[in-house]
Amino acid sequence: MNATLPRFFWSEYRKRHKRAALITFALFWGTLSILLLMAFGQGMSTQFQVAFKGLGETLIMVYGGQTSLPFEGLPKGRPIALYPEDIDYLKDRIPEILRIAPESYNFLPVSANGKEINRTVHGTTAEFGVMRTQVPQLGGRFLNAADAAEGRKVAFIGWKVATDLFGSADAVGKTIVIARVPFTVVGVLQKKIQDSMYNGPDAEQVYLPFHSYQQIDNRRRINQIHIQPREDSQSKLIESRVKTLLGRKYRFDPDDRYATSFWNTIDDAKEGMAIFKGIEIFLSIIGALTLLIGAVGVTNLMYAAAKERTKEIGIKLAIGARRRTIIAQFFLETVFVFTKGTFWGFITAFNIVHLIRLAPINYDSFGIEAYLLRPEFSLRILVIYVVVLGVLCFLSGIFPALRASRANPIESLRYE
Amino acid sequence: MIELNGITKVYRTGSQSLEALRGISLGIGKGEFVSVMGPSGSGKSTLMNIVGCLDTPTAGEYVLDGENVAGLTFDELAAVRNRKIGFVFQNFNLLPYATAWENVELPMLFDGKNAKKRRERVTELLNAVGLLDWRDHRPTELSGGQQQRIALARALANDPPILLADEPTGNLDSKSGEEIMAILTELWQGGRTIVMVTHNDHIAACSERIIRLFDGQVVA
Repeated sequence: MNATLPRFFWSEYRKRHKRAALITFALFWGTLSILLLMAFGQGMSTQFQVAFKGLGETLIMVYGGQTSLPFEGLPKGRPIALYPEDIDYLKDRIPEILRIAPESYNFLPVSANGKEINRTVHGTTAEFGVMRTQVPQLGGRFLNAADAAEGRKVAFIGWKVATDLFGSADAVGKTIVIARVPFTVVGVLQKKIQDSMYNGPDAEQVYLPFHSYQQIDNRRRINQIHIQPREDSQSKLIESRVKTLLGRKYRFDPDDRYATSFWNTIDDAKEGMAIFKGIEIFLSIIGALTLLIGAVGVTNLMYAAAKERTKEIGIKLAIGARRRTIIAQFFLETVFVFTKGTFWGFITAFNIVHLIRLAPINYDSFGIEAYLLRPEFSLRILVIYVVVLGVLCFLSGIFPALRASRANPIESLRYE
Repeated sequence: MIELNGITKVYRTGSQSLEALRGISLGIGKGEFVSVMGPSGSGKSTLMNIVGCLDTPTAGEYVLDGENVAGLTFDELAAVRNRKIGFVFQNFNLLPYATAWENVELPMLFDGKNAKKRRERVTELLNAVGLLDWRDHRPTELSGGQQQRIALARALANDPPILLADEPTGNLDSKSGEEIMAILTELWQGGRTIVMVTHNDHIAACSERIIRLFDGQVVA
């Protein structure tokens, strides 16, 4: 390669720059579309995962129920309840369990600072905090093992509860009264987006150590058990073991679908991810089709160039240009047109994505903006884009280039 | 240098077929200056295209500089045109967007010669045709005579043994035409083989031998 051929190409290109401008715009637009659509697709996917982790990661929730099958002489329709001792009973017998925690709750009056509100108050253990992503704000903590061991009257509260009771003041260290029993706030939940919940978002909940909770709610039975498996893949195995073990203890058929029920977030997450992957692919295809319009424009431009340059091609062939020289020239031009159009599209898309990401998300009314305002770029998007671009560039350049190179030198020389 | 044996060229368009050359056999020796004359449609251009390796004959054998070029591929023929044949056309056929320098340089680019060799050769050739000062001008900024001299310089870029000139003075005023003929004559005296198509008896008189074509056959 040398400077003369690129300069020739530039001279030839400049003659068509007005027509090329429109095609450059089409490529710009196509690049913008494919990159933004992919960034939004991936951003939504990521936000879905983030929101899902708001409830907890790889979580199996176990609830009691009512038998629907007779078992060992017992009739169907018996209620099955869960009790605090089931925690150790299951943990000792199922080695696949990494963490396990009980949870009881009741709607109770909570007062402080001269205000009274009704909120769902929960009793649970320290492990619950890890499983249910209860991340404390700076200066606070979740419930811990010492709280349980010493029977401390402490509470971990959602950020909305903190605001409702204390306004903008720091809630940690303050006292709240629940069912006439005072509790010291040891932590406030950090803001998070959460798309799955029971009894409302965690922002509005109050958590107490399990034994302290039992002093204000004297029901023996617990509402649910949270289990985190060592590996995601063990979730189904754990479910069936829990059924078998609880069935043995409370005497119901392990195949009884209504004696106990499960909320397996691992399955939900897989399903959700499949949907968002589908959306991502769909958006990428739309983006690629938009870019295709630009590519068709380039093909058109290059065909026109091949025709306009018939005479020049004839001259070059006559003085000894090989076919591949002609092909290379057309390809160089196609690549140039593509680069010019797509470069600014790339820069623009990159900036738009980063600007959008600056927009704040309202954690108090978690809605569609939490999905839309966090588009993101990744190496994967870049690779897909470059591959799509490369294929389109090759396809839009190859046919005009081949046509130009197949020109008959004699006829081309006669062309005016 | 050039040996044609029973060269036939038939053009087919649909069911029609036109025999442009009918079994032409002729030889042109090294260092000869030959004119090809004949009325329109006599097959002059077809003959030149075949001799110039721009076209292939329907039948017959063509040996150029000891090499049978009948069976060569498109790119092999391109290499032959590039190194062994220099073309001078009636309408110059310079690249309009390229400067005089670049037009002369082009055949060497296609031959893959390095920058230093190209620079030396272009300087030498532009000097020889007296247009070194015009090297940065485009064809539209040059007179017809100057353009044809650039075209001649380009034809000589790779130092080919054969020059093919198709009515080289046809688009020029008589003075410029004479200048071109003077250069061609000088090149012939320098040992180059020159084949020239012309209608002009006066121009043809510069050559050693005249081949006359009529109806696709050599008549004299």
